[in-house]
Amino acid sequence: MTVDEKFFAWLDGELTGDEATEVEARVAADPELARLAEQHRAMHAQLKGAFDPIVEAPVPDQLRAAVRRREAEFVDLAAVRQVRESRKIWPRLPQWAAMAATLAIGIVVGTMVPPRTSAPVEVQGGKIYAATALGSALDTQLASAPAGAVRIGMTFRDQAGAVCRSFTQAEANGLACRDDGRWQVRGLFAAPEGQASAYRMAAGMDPNLAALVDSTMAGEPFDTGQEKSAKERGWR
Amino acid sequence: MDQPLSFEKTLTELLPRLRRFAHALSRNPADADDLTQAAVERALQSKLQWQPGTRLDSWLYRIMRNLWIDTVRSRSRREKVEAPPEEAERVGEDPRESMDAALDLKRVMAAMQRLPDEQREIVALILVEGFGYREVSEMLDLPIGTVSSRLVRGRTALLAMVGER
Repeated sequence: MTVDEKFFAWLDGELTGDEATEVEARVAADPELARLAEQHRAMHAQLKGAFDPIVEAPVPDQLRAAVRRREAEFVDLAAVRQVRESRKIWPRLPQWAAMAATLAIGIVVGTMVPPRTSAPVEVQGGKIYAATALGSALDTQLASAPAGAVRIGMTFRDQAGAVCRSFTQAEANGLACRDDGRWQVRGLFAAPEGQASAYRMAAGMDPNLAALVDSTMAGEPFDTGQEKSAKERGWR
Repeated sequence: MDQPLSFEKTLTELLPRLRRFAHALSRNPADADDLTQAAVERALQSKLQWQPGTRLDSWLYRIMRNLWIDTVRSRSRREKVEAPPEEAERVGEDPRESMDAALDLKRVMAAMQRLPDEQREIVALILVEGFGYREVSEMLDLPIGTVSSRLVRGRTALLAMVGER
């Protein structure tokens, strides 16, 4: 800070302690400097005197109306954003995305059901259920403690009140909901060709799955505590 | 999350101060109200970019200042093309002529107009709006030393124009 800058900083109350005392002493000892301080105080007062009445004056109606108009025009975007962020998914996709989910099931299931006895899903009475590693992951794993090949995403209730969980594994990701003590697969999407699962997980949720989750979920996703107690109650 | 005061309500409460700042930057009251209106519209459009928990006033001042800079730049480009300002005209408006009287808004605005833009915004924020050096340095993304030196030059020029002698 130059000598000048220090003087003005003192004048503006920006200096404290020793620095302030030092400038104060300098001004007291120098009539020229004292006069300069007075001139600048007077000029500052003139500025305030000219501009401050604007703060007291009524704001033109036109300006007030602009705010009111906007207030009425806009939905509360902040609230929308908050919901989206808490769900950690994209904005709603068009209806066809959810329909594509149904189609995808058939394609993926063809490659995943027996003869492999370790298949993650099984078909019974026209419904697809989680089996083996996927079934036990859905039963036991918490999103906060990933283990093994299956990673659990979100847990929430659907409109009918059933607990649903999204999951990701190497070949596919999907959504399963409780149905009579088992995990019924509501949607299963093949991993995009040639993408390593680790990469896919890092990139976030498959947009198809996101759309399905969005259309299935009632209310908010479970937090860590709610997920844990839902597990203890056997996902009822 | 609860919102203590709606964005619009806070904005409405800040309108008088924003108008004062606009007057300190602008050539005349009509321009000042246009600038305030533009800043309000911009703020409402970019509402989501404001980080709740940070100061809304600093954010609004920054919006207004950026809009003002845009206007000033496009105007000076236009004036360079159309008609270069005559130095004689500027001398003719010397506000020092009536410095003995209490300076009215018009005269102070005219004096502010004669400051270079980068000094005017700092004089307006610190001496008119009452922000601290540090606050202004953060608001304008400038080193505090730059704020301080521009303020010295700006207020010294102002004193020569409007102050007592």
